[in-house]
Amino acid sequence: MSRLKTKEEYEKTIGFKFRRWLYGEEDPYINKVEMVKQHHRHVEEKTITERMHEKQMHREYTYDVNRNKVLKTYSMLYRIASVVFVILIAALLVYNVSWLPKTGAAEKAVNNEVPQRYIENGLQETGAVNIVTGMILDYRAFDTLGESHVLFIATITVLILLRNNKKKATIAQISDRRFEPKNDSILQLGAKILVPVIFVFGIYVVLNGHISPGGGFSGGAIIGAGLILYVSAFGFEKTEKFFTERTYKVISFAALATYCIAKSYSFYTGANHIHSIIPLGQPGAILSSGLILILNICVGMVVACTMYTFYVMFRKGDF
Amino acid sequence: MTVFQIILLVFLLVCAIAVSFSKNLLNSILIFMSFSLIMSILWVCLESPDLGITEAAVGAGVTSILFFATLKKIHAIEVEGTQEEAEDEQA
Amino acid sequence: MISEWIRFTLGATLLAIGIFIFLFELFGIYRFKYVLNRMHAAAMGDTLALSCFILGLAIISGFNFDTLKLILIIALFWISSPVSSHMLAKMEVETNEEIANEVSFETLEEVEKKEAEK
Repeated sequence: MSRLKTKEEYEKTIGFKFRRWLYGEEDPYINKVEMVKQHHRHVEEKTITERMHEKQMHREYTYDVNRNKVLKTYSMLYRIASVVFVILIAALLVYNVSWLPKTGAAEKAVNNEVPQRYIENGLQETGAVNIVTGMILDYRAFDTLGESHVLFIATITVLILLRNNKKKATIAQISDRRFEPKNDSILQLGAKILVPVIFVFGIYVVLNGHISPGGGFSGGAIIGAGLILYVSAFGFEKTEKFFTERTYKVISFAALATYCIAKSYSFYTGANHIHSIIPLGQPGAILSSGLILILNICVGMVVACTMYTFYVMFRKGDF
Repeated sequence: MTVFQIILLVFLLVCAIAVSFSKNLLNSILIFMSFSLIMSILWVCLESPDLGITEAAVGAGVTSILFFATLKKIHAIEVEGTQEEAEDEQA
Repeated sequence: MISEWIRFTLGATLLAIGIFIFLFELFGIYRFKYVLNRMHAAAMGDTLALSCFILGLAIISGFNFDTLKLILIIALFWISSPVSSHMLAKMEVETNEEIANEVSFETLEEVEKKEAEK
């Protein structure tokens, strides 16, 4: 050991205890809880078969429609009731819709001062030519942050549920790629031509979110679809060179954290009437409209990574 | 409401009913794909092309691919012939 | 003025050809019973009929920035649609065990044998 202290001395220090507590090497039950070895409960095989037979008999008797009149009437009633219920709900919804005012009518309840403010002052206050982007990423940016987190949580759930922890299994065993045409040269050529075009279009949609229709969600979904096309043409070995679980973690964390920090600054300055140092720029230019461009890029990255991770998890269960 | 939009709405209804009444799961996914495609055209008609792009990419593209992958995982799609070939390859 | 009329008729003819090819495609899809035959009909509409439509629209709208976009749409369809048709056909050939009942085809070994005989 190259430490200054000996091993026995080191084990008495707080640092070692803290490390042991943090990494869970200490078993909290040893020397503290009295443990008795449990005996294995032995059940005769005959009893098990008897019990199962009995259960089966009961089940057959209960679910036999010819004998069980109650079940028969119940299933009939259930079918009728379900149809009636569905028709009732549909009729109720259609009745409600018929009372709605016409699209764009002046007496509509949503035509109050809020959308008026958005339409009239949106360009000056947010700097975004596309009023929808100005709304979802500036006035209601909290909402979009929640949506991004929903995607993040969904990916984490998929990772928990579908993660394959078989370290020894080969790629052929884990993936179901063996059922697919391998190394199809026509598909590979098509993907070679199409994937860059799709990526460029996705990036265009993301970057032009405040000028033209589109934005983070649409562009991110396009980039994710392009990644999926690339995977299905060239296999996981090629994509794992640049996209692993670590990449996903880093990109999502960085994007969500940037979103949080940028929006916190914006809300802080807005609530305290402090002048924000971020200029709104010139409407129509790409590098303008303050934070909206950055937020769009963040949302786009999260969405693209989420799409690709979903696909990989469903197909292979591992990065 | 133009004639074109009415035709699309009727298509949408037919697709929505056909999804739930189709016995084959693969067929219902394909019909669901066409549902999303019609929906994306309708979004463009309703003057929100950004939603149209998202619907086409997510609804018709990614969601159906995920459905296919799930069906394959739970062995709901019958794969004939290739099973033995794959086993031969591994052996 | 006369050039306007020529342009309009040209565009309208192309649109009509596109509609006709689409009708044939629909007829073929319902007429044929086997997957590969149906796909032959369907792939025609994706490439030829669509390009006829878009060329007609481009001619009617005149040469401007939209024409470039329309040509890009044609290029995208010409690349993506045959590739997807090819993948579907390959899937059918590889997974259908009773394909010999539906179509007659030669395996690669048979073709090589024939060429060797020549």
